[in-house]
Amino acid sequence: MTTAARTRAFIIAGLLPALILYLLFVVVPVFWSSYYGFFSWKGIGEMKFIGLDNYTEVLKDEIFWKSFVNNLYIVAYSVFGQVPIALLLAIVLARNSWYQRFLRASIFMPMVLSSVVIGLIWGYIYHPQIGILNFLLDSLGLSSWKLGWLSDPKVAMYSIGPPIIWANIGPYLILFIAALQNIPGEMDDAAQIDGATGLRKLFQITLPMIWGTIKVAIILCISGSLKAFDLIFIMTRGGPANSTELLATYMYNNTFNIFRYGYGSAVSTSIVIISLLLIAGSQFLMNRNKNVA
Amino acid sequence: MHTKPIPMSSSARGGSIVIRKMGRGATWCMLTFYALLTLYPLIWLFVSAFKDNQDFFSRPFGLPSSWHFDNFSRAWKVAGMDIALLNSAIVTSVSLVLTVLIGSLAAFILSRFHFRLKGAVMGLFLIGMLIPVHSTLVPLFIMMKEMSLLDTYAALVLPYIAFELPIAIFIISAYMTTFPKELEEAATIDGAGYWSIFCRIMLPLSMPAISTVAVLGFLRFWNDFAFPLVLINKPSLKTLPLSLSIFADGYGTDYSLTLAALTISVIPTIIIYLIFQEQIMKGMLAGSVKG
Amino acid sequence: MIMSRKWIQALVFLMILTTVLAGCGGGSTPKENTDNASSGKEQPAEKVKLSLWHNFTGEDLRAKAMRGIIEQFQNDHENIQLEIQAIPPDGYRQRLKTVAAANELPDVFIMHPGTIAKEFSSAGVIQPLDDLLNKHADWKDGYLPNSFDDFTFDGKIYSAPMSLSPTSILYYNKKILADNGLSVPTTWEELLHAVEVLNSKNIIPIALGNKAPWLAQSSILSSLADRVTGTEWFNKAVLQDGAKFTDPEFVEALSYMQELAMVGAFQEGFNAIDTTQMEQLYAQGKAAMMIEGGWAVTNLVASASEDILANTGVAILPSIPNGKGDPNTVSGAIGVGPAMSSKVEGAKKEAAEQLVLALAGPEAQKITLEANQLISFKAELDKSKVNPLFADLYELVNKVGRTPVYDARLTSQATEAVNNGLQELLLGAKPEDVAKKIQDAQEQGLKE
Repeated sequence: MTTAARTRAFIIAGLLPALILYLLFVVVPVFWSSYYGFFSWKGIGEMKFIGLDNYTEVLKDEIFWKSFVNNLYIVAYSVFGQVPIALLLAIVLARNSWYQRFLRASIFMPMVLSSVVIGLIWGYIYHPQIGILNFLLDSLGLSSWKLGWLSDPKVAMYSIGPPIIWANIGPYLILFIAALQNIPGEMDDAAQIDGATGLRKLFQITLPMIWGTIKVAIILCISGSLKAFDLIFIMTRGGPANSTELLATYMYNNTFNIFRYGYGSAVSTSIVIISLLLIAGSQFLMNRNKNVA
Repeated sequence: MHTKPIPMSSSARGGSIVIRKMGRGATWCMLTFYALLTLYPLIWLFVSAFKDNQDFFSRPFGLPSSWHFDNFSRAWKVAGMDIALLNSAIVTSVSLVLTVLIGSLAAFILSRFHFRLKGAVMGLFLIGMLIPVHSTLVPLFIMMKEMSLLDTYAALVLPYIAFELPIAIFIISAYMTTFPKELEEAATIDGAGYWSIFCRIMLPLSMPAISTVAVLGFLRFWNDFAFPLVLINKPSLKTLPLSLSIFADGYGTDYSLTLAALTISVIPTIIIYLIFQEQIMKGMLAGSVKG
Repeated sequence: MIMSRKWIQALVFLMILTTVLAGCGGGSTPKENTDNASSGKEQPAEKVKLSLWHNFTGEDLRAKAMRGIIEQFQNDHENIQLEIQAIPPDGYRQRLKTVAAANELPDVFIMHPGTIAKEFSSAGVIQPLDDLLNKHADWKDGYLPNSFDDFTFDGKIYSAPMSLSPTSILYYNKKILADNGLSVPTTWEELLHAVEVLNSKNIIPIALGNKAPWLAQSSILSSLADRVTGTEWFNKAVLQDGAKFTDPEFVEALSYMQELAMVGAFQEGFNAIDTTQMEQLYAQGKAAMMIEGGWAVTNLVASASEDILANTGVAILPSIPNGKGDPNTVSGAIGVGPAMSSKVEGAKKEAAEQLVLALAGPEAQKITLEANQLISFKAELDKSKVNPLFADLYELVNKVGRTPVYDARLTSQATEAVNNGLQELLLGAKPEDVAKKIQDAQEQGLKE
């Protein structure tokens, strides 16, 4: 076998298992579901072909767009909350003393909790009568700051931020620590010889070195935020009055509560398309920035 | 073995040692505070698990007025947690091993080889990270039925791997991209084939990224509720979240049992995480080239 | 880490192989094989296998009683082998819909009345029980009037209700009311007065937990609106036949509902707490009243202190001035019933019918009643066997008429619109706007 043929065989053999599994269990169902989007279907019984009706309804649907904006809030929480905080923590916690390990482990801890627990706990923090947050405000003499954290539609979407950031910092922290530890030691030595310390070193050496990882993190944030479902579903169920409705909860409600499978499928196809556009856009922006810098 | 210089303390220049030390002290205080803040909910969970329902509601943040150890044994029995734990362990570990193997192999090829369609394949996997799992439930159910895979471990394992592959490939290939080119070149000169480069060099070197993938995958598989709910009918194949959900009944929830059961289910995740954390941090600090 | 190359290759090919093979083996042969293997143990032939799905997973009396009935059935019928699947109520409907979409419904399953039953019947995935009911006249005739309405489609009866749920019961704390010089409000004015007095004493007048937004709809609006509009109007509006949800009477009903929130009848943050927490507010004596369905009795018995339980009374919602509806009514719906897949036939069908009878027949009805669950079946209640509060509820419900529950009649879309609309309404949205959304949803839901 020639080298080229061997390489080729290896590429195919290596990619095949991943591709087959992925196509069969992710891609096919997605297309299948976007196909359902062309039908008026209640999940059982007759499927009535209605062309693009569902999709045009999506475009005109107020709640759909409201959910989209709410999703953008979550994207903002994670890109401007999770990423910087995780990065900062990673820089401070990159060493391996027992105390740092302890701190890292505890910061990661929310990740091991299921959404049910997290939702329950934050529900109690924000609870209008017995919540610890209102209790704290009361005892600090700030009773006037008390709000209907999850019950006031104007406030609820902001109250969602802290739990989301808090619960999901762990993996980003690990991602950044792994990247930081991968910076060759020579870099640090060189930096010391140059006398670069503190912030200068951070901006001139550390950040550029792990820029690739930061990009990965941001893309993970965006895609994760667009899929966000569990926590909101448990904390507010998209309410009150759709004020915290997300694309995924809206899709879920349409499919499994109202049983509009056709419309729900159209919504989920739209989510995929919107996500694609967002990711493409953000990648474009980040690559341009890098070229400028 | 290469030891890293300490980022913050190494070069004490000028006369600002005292200020720096104070700053460090403040930083550590804040960090400790933050860590306690994040740990508190877990402590809350463990403490609340000992309360009875009434205690839980009247004093949600206090210590139990009496410690109900029987919550755990009741929860264990009611939810049939022994079978559920075993099922979850089987499904999770099989899915994890296969995800890591298949994922890092694909990541290796996508990050270290050049070929036509490479961008397309990468893009295809990238899209997978955006797909809301719930939207595929009905088609997946129908497919599993056609393949006679309903009520088997495979009905969970196969979609788990498929849905986790994109993120695995993404993280591992991003990590592998950072390796210098000479790595393979040297190995090729030594006469190693691609498979052995993958097994002997790439896999071990990528351990930090693989551990990350493993931790994420483990949590996802372990806590997943949607797939078993739809794809598993037999009580003997129930996974942990499915058995936990037994406590939530339509018109109210038995929180004391739920929290006890959640505590039981959280403990393995904590243990596994602590083991993996070591793995990540130890993980091959300096590679073969750097060393 | 030393992994031989062959080992990896073998693994990878195994992967591909299993995937491909699984893809090809679409036939039913493998499934039957495993079936035989598992049943081949004891009595090889004749044994009828029957799959049963239910949602009695809780630890409450009723769920335990139902599981007891099923267990008894298994003991009594050695020739029938049940494959039981108990699914928590939260995911139950979703699960049924999913398997129905794949035409894989279990042989016998517990089905909710109304919308889902209608869809199943029109899709032909379940079969009528008329023959069975007619064979057992004592059973069929034992039911209260209108019991089969929500299970009857195209003149055929598809299930028999196992319970009855009044959705709108006013639970009140006699002691708190008396201490403040109040009695149970029977008119709207009395209610508003009570709210004012209680608020001035810093007591929550009515506990409300509307996070899962069906509660305000099912427990408050269903009765309140009926008092204002009358049942006849509602039936017409559901069919969009001569009445619309934008009609002034319905807008007026919504205004009454809103007034409650505006005068502070509910505690703060009612949209953020769930029904369990709402019950706790009442059970801890922090609230003087609470409006919930009859099912709350079991929960209160489990969670309230004896003192509060002994002081708890049950009543219907107060009357509305100049209302068109009969004020001496409570909204209520029949509960779940057993349904039979249309695929069941022959010996299997005989067995399935026996199971249905065991689950919903006269015997089962009596057991259900004694498990503190109201039924839609004529049966004498032995008061010594149940909790006193349940006995009170039983008496109350037997004294008053029954009106429809909104979500049992509206299309799923309109139900969603009412649920979300009420959340908005209680926070100050205009009743006209909310009514418009409900009207639009019902109109569209009927079309699909």
